[in-house]
Amino acid sequence: MSDKKKTTAGGESGAGLLSKLKSEVERKNYLSRETMAGVAGQSDLPLNSVYGVASFYAYLPVFPVGKNVIKVCNCLPCEMKDVPAVVEGISREIGIGPGQTTPDGKFTLELVSCIGACDQAPAMMINDKLYGDLTAEKIAGILKSY
Amino acid sequence: MGNVNIIIDGKKVRVREGSTILEAAEANGITIPTFCNIKGLLPTGVCRVCVVEVQGSKTLVGSCHTPASEGMLVFTRTPRVVATRKVIVELMLTGHTGDCVNDPNAENCKLHNLASDYEVGAPRFNVKTPRFYPAEESNPYVRRDLSKCILCRKCVKACQDLARKNVLSIGYRGFRSKVVSGFDEELTAEACRDCLICIEHCPTGALGKPVKV
Repeated sequence: MSDKKKTTAGGESGAGLLSKLKSEVERKNYLSRETMAGVAGQSDLPLNSVYGVASFYAYLPVFPVGKNVIKVCNCLPCEMKDVPAVVEGISREIGIGPGQTTPDGKFTLELVSCIGACDQAPAMMINDKLYGDLTAEKIAGILKSY
Repeated sequence: MGNVNIIIDGKKVRVREGSTILEAAEANGITIPTFCNIKGLLPTGVCRVCVVEVQGSKTLVGSCHTPASEGMLVFTRTPRVVATRKVIVELMLTGHTGDCVNDPNAENCKLHNLASDYEVGAPRFNVKTPRFYPAEESNPYVRRDLSKCILCRKCVKACQDLARKNVLSIGYRGFRSKVVSGFDEELTAEACRDCLICIEHCPTGALGKPVKV
């Protein structure tokens, strides 16, 4: 196999990319083009590699998001426990659909891949806080605290 | 490194240790279809059409990334292999949208060729949102029509490992996965020059030379 060229996404220079992106999101709420270009420069990676990685993760938004990001799990167990009713409940409460941000910039609603809380399906996260065993009725109370 | 002996479709084959099943088959005149493999580069194993049956293995294995090992018994065209490849091609056709679906001259599309070889008809799967991206015509060297892209990643690899440019990556995830350049922008002439290596490797009509008007 020694005659084969090695392919890795960015190779050595990609080391620590995720933690760099994560701390940028913590500081600036989302990853702007300037931020990603800066990280690419620091890590000696092309822009497309950084964008490719960032756009894969729901936790690394590449577009401006609201102050609070509601990430509703959209995977099979949550779907089976009627996550669409929960999404509808959220939409009724704050008037936006998945992928949208409220006009006052308070909330962004997103459907994301498994958040690892299948035992509490249907589940969602608001920022870093997990909410499980949701029903449409519980939504208003939860959102009120934000 | 030594050699290993394996049997592919009843044919005794002797190959260098470390060779993949695909390499062993090709060296001995046995054809296995593949979309994502580039000879000489590390396999990605994403397209799955090169699957074969190996005696003793519960599942089919990707021949492009499975090394041949001593005494291996490989079958490349059993009913199970053919049935599996048919579904894989059918799934790919589902996401392979654009005018080439109805284009009788789509002869350069390896996906359509394989679909007709394996007698795969119109895909039976319904998708909520068809995969559609407008064709990108702005680059003077490459025309990208990503609706036809089957995400084999050959262009990404060829750009990175053969052209040593690295202007393409896979962005997003799941159904939204897409080959992106820059911040998911059209390929600029500064980023992408006229090496044309990606076009050469694209199995479908997703990458081509610009259409002269």
